[in-house]
Amino acid sequence: MTIATKQLSLTINDKAVGPIDVPETMMMQDFLYEYLNLTGSRMGCGQGICHACTVVLEKADGSLEEMRTCITGAHWFAGRKIRTVEGQAKRDANGAITELSPVQQAFIEHFSFQCGYCTPGFVTGATVLLDQLRRNPVKREALEQVITEALDRHICRCTGYVRYFEAVRDLALKTPGLVKA
Amino acid sequence: MARKLLLAALAVAVVGALAAGAVFLGLFERSVVAKEIEQPLSAEQMKALAKRGAYVAVAADCYACHVVKGGAPWAGGLPFETPLGTIFSTNISPDKEHGIGNWTRAEFHRAVRDGVGKHGHLYPAMPYASYRKLTADDVDAVYAFLMSREPMKVANRANHMPFPLNIRQGLTFWNLVNLSSDTKSEVTGRSALWNRGRYLTDALAHCGECHTPRNLAMGMKESAYLEGSELEGVIAPDITKAGLTRMGFDPLVFASFMKSGISAQGAMTNQMFEVVHFSTQYFTNDDLAAMSAYLFDLDKLPESATPPTPPKPVAVSAEVAASARASYIAVCASCHGMDGQGIPHVVVPLATNASLRLADARNLNKVILTGIPAQRFPGLERMQPMPGFAGQLSDQQVADLSNWLRANWGGQQPSVTADEVKRLR
Repeated sequence: MTIATKQLSLTINDKAVGPIDVPETMMMQDFLYEYLNLTGSRMGCGQGICHACTVVLEKADGSLEEMRTCITGAHWFAGRKIRTVEGQAKRDANGAITELSPVQQAFIEHFSFQCGYCTPGFVTGATVLLDQLRRNPVKREALEQVITEALDRHICRCTGYVRYFEAVRDLALKTPGLVKA
Repeated sequence: MARKLLLAALAVAVVGALAAGAVFLGLFERSVVAKEIEQPLSAEQMKALAKRGAYVAVAADCYACHVVKGGAPWAGGLPFETPLGTIFSTNISPDKEHGIGNWTRAEFHRAVRDGVGKHGHLYPAMPYASYRKLTADDVDAVYAFLMSREPMKVANRANHMPFPLNIRQGLTFWNLVNLSSDTKSEVTGRSALWNRGRYLTDALAHCGECHTPRNLAMGMKESAYLEGSELEGVIAPDITKAGLTRMGFDPLVFASFMKSGISAQGAMTNQMFEVVHFSTQYFTNDDLAAMSAYLFDLDKLPESATPPTPPKPVAVSAEVAASARASYIAVCASCHGMDGQGIPHVVVPLATNASLRLADARNLNKVILTGIPAQRFPGLERMQPMPGFAGQLSDQQVADLSNWLRANWGGQQPSVTADEVKRLR
C-alpha cells in the first residue's frame, strides 16, 4: 500500500522549507518531528487539549496566532509562516543561541517550569499573548484576567501554573505599551 | 344613508372595543384549576407529597430555568432573550418576600396551569401552555416540594420588555388564542406506556415549547407538532417519528440517548445538553421508555434495537470534494477520524452524526465556526471541547466542508452556500 503524498512548502523560523513530499493525512506535529527533526513542540495528549504542541502562526498582517500541531494537518500550513520554539531565541551564524526571547528569559528567571514538557507550549502561548497586548493594550486591573484566559488552556503538571503566571505578568508590566494606566 | 353607515361603523367600533376590553380584563379566561384546589393541603399531605414532587419537578425541568449558574437554588434570574425583549426567571423558593412563600396552593396551581400568578400574568417563557396539561396531583407534588426547599432572599430581576408588551394584563389576548382548555391526558385505545409518554412529552418535559414551531400569534403551531423549530439561532430538530428516524435513532437508542446525552448520533449540545443535565438523566427507565414509545408512536418498545438504514451518499462535484477533503484532513480528522468514527469517550463520530442528517445545515455550520465547549455527561463521560474554525477556514471552505460531510454521511443535497456561512459568523 502506498501512502498518497502531496508537495508541501512553507516558512519555518524565517527559513523556506520544501517543497517536500508529505503524506496527505499527516499531522503537523509528525511532520516537524519526522521530516525536520524539530522536536521542541511536545506531543502531549494528541487531541488538542494540553497545548504542549503549539507553534506560532505568523499571519500576513504581522499578527500572531497559536496553532495546535497535533490536531492540525501539515498541509494546512502550506504557504504559511510559523515559528516553533526552536526559532524563539536569537542565534549567531553558527546557530548557537545568543539571546533568549523575553518570554523564555522570564520563565527562567521565575523558575517557571520543572520538567519542562509543557514549556514550549507556554512560550508559544505567552509570545502570542504579548503580541496581542502590544496591539490591544489592556487596563492594569484587567491584566490578570487576560493572562488567565489566554494561558488557561495550557496544561502543566509540575509547578501549579503560579510561576508561569507571575513571569508573564511581570514581563507584561515591564514591557512598555502593553498595559494602559 | 351616510348617517346609517356611520352609526353602524360606530356600533362595530364600540362592540369591538367592548370585546377587546372584556378580553383584556380576563373575562374570557378559563381556569383549568378546580374549585377544590382552594382547600389548602395539610402539613402531613405536604410532607408526603414533597418526595414525589422532587421527581415531578425534575421531569418538568423546573430547575434549569429557575436558577443561574453560581446563583442561589430556585432563586431564578436566568435571562430569556426573546425576539420581543428580555425576561428573567423568578425566585420560586419559599421565601415570603421574593419567592412563593406566601402563595397558596390554588395560587400556585393557577400560575403553573393558567399562567396567572399571585401578582399578575406570567409571560409564556414559563411554559404554562404545556404545564396546563399537568395533573392536579403533580402540581400539588411540585408545590409541596418547592415549599420544602430553603427560602432564598434573592430579589427578582426586572424584565426588559418594551411598551405595550410590558403590560402583563395584555397576556389575556395571547392566552385566549393559545391556551387550550382540553387537558385530557389519556387517549383511549393506546397503551398506558404510550399515554405516559404523551404526558411526559407534552405536559412535564414540555418538548413542544422548543420543538414545535410557533405560529403568527407566537403560540405552538399544532399542525406542525414537534416537527422542529428555530431557537436562539439553532435548529431544535424534528422529533416526530420521521424526524428521529431520519437522525438515525431507533426507540431503544433514543431512550438511552435521553439518559446519557451521548450516542452514535452525537452528543447533546446547546439547550438539550442542559435538559439532559438537569432533567432527563434522572428519568426512571420506565419514563424513558414511555417517552420514546410515544415519540415513535408505539404501544410498547421493541425488544432489540432496530437501527434505520443509513442515508445514501449524495454525489458532490470533484472541486467541492477536493476542497472539503483537504479541510477535513487539516482540521477535523485528527479527532473525528479519517472515517468519521470519532474517539469513544472523547469525540463524537461524524459518520453517524444526527447534525449531518438535518434538512437545515445551520447547526453543523455554526459548530464548525464556533465549536462546542467541553461538556460533562452523566456517569464519567466527558466530551472534550471542539475548537471553532472561523479563523482557519474561509466561508467557501466551510460551505464545501459542510456540503461534503452532509452529502457523504448525511445523504443531504450539497446546498450550503458561502453567503449562508458568512451570515452565521
